[in-house]
Amino acid sequence: MNMHEWTAAPAASPEVFQRLGTITRQLHDTLSQLGLMPRLQNSVDGLTDARSRLSYIARKTGEAADKVLTAVELAKQEQGKITLATREIGVALAGPVSTEAVQALVAAVDDANRRVGVHLTDIMMAQDFHDLTGQVVGKVVALAIDLEDSLVKLLVQAAPQESFAEPPPSGLNGPVVDPSKRSDVVSSQGEVDDLLASLGF
Amino acid sequence: MKDLHAMNFLVVDDFSTMRRIVRGLLKEMGLNNVDEAEDGAAALTKLRHQRFDFVISDINMPNMNGFELLKAIKADPALAYLPVLMVTAEARKEDIILAAQSGAAGYIVKPFTKATLEDKLNKILAKLSQPA
Repeated sequence: MNMHEWTAAPAASPEVFQRLGTITRQLHDTLSQLGLMPRLQNSVDGLTDARSRLSYIARKTGEAADKVLTAVELAKQEQGKITLATREIGVALAGPVSTEAVQALVAAVDDANRRVGVHLTDIMMAQDFHDLTGQVVGKVVALAIDLEDSLVKLLVQAAPQESFAEPPPSGLNGPVVDPSKRSDVVSSQGEVDDLLASLGF
Repeated sequence: MKDLHAMNFLVVDDFSTMRRIVRGLLKEMGLNNVDEAEDGAAALTKLRHQRFDFVISDINMPNMNGFELLKAIKADPALAYLPVLMVTAEARKEDIILAAQSGAAGYIVKPFTKATLEDKLNKILAKLSQPA
């Protein structure tokens, strides 16, 4: 049945509701007979959980990235102050200079260095998202495998042979997780450059 | 060639993190005139109201993706002069070819390095300064 037939069907016909009821009952009976219902139910329940887990990952990784970028920007400012102060020490030492003046510059460098250390620690600590999200990803993957397994079994048992059609090609794909298993993608900037050069770009 | 340091850059990406990274890298190269847009539609609005010299754009974005933005820029006589460098996680060969055929000045796949960005920028600008 295609989309056109769907929209053409009489929406409020009692026959439609009767047929829907029959199909639902058949599906329920089939699932129960196959012993898949409890597993499928567990997987479906897990989907809501998976959505929140994935949102959690997005939030944690975003927070970590922001934290690191802020720390880097602040550390770079301190680094600039250190560069300036050391240059000033160099200039001062070339001529007559008071001990106090040199000590003040050295103290300024020391202070800036300490603050750089704090920012570097912040960067290190921000990496904790990797551990946390890694565990969550593992749970979502386990759920996806379970759901896929249940659905594949259901399809094999219940779907007519002719319904196994090629899935439609998707649009944009995002990052390629494992380019070694694909021939239609590039795995490095070098391959991008070679491809474009081969086409005369 | 126009002085690189006087050029106005527009960085287009739906992830603020990536916009910050690209802006940070440009700053390290001494390029401080950088503005940002969160998708193709926002970028097009900025491009039509302010003079830019270079666009660095992601592809996979809501509202208007990078391909649509690239095509809109090249179809607009007032904007067609703009070099557009695609910086994207899309690594399919057909996407790279489509970008080149649509008029992209360069294509960088994420994750990338500062050296790659610098190299592409310099190559694109050197090519633009050559007589047609």
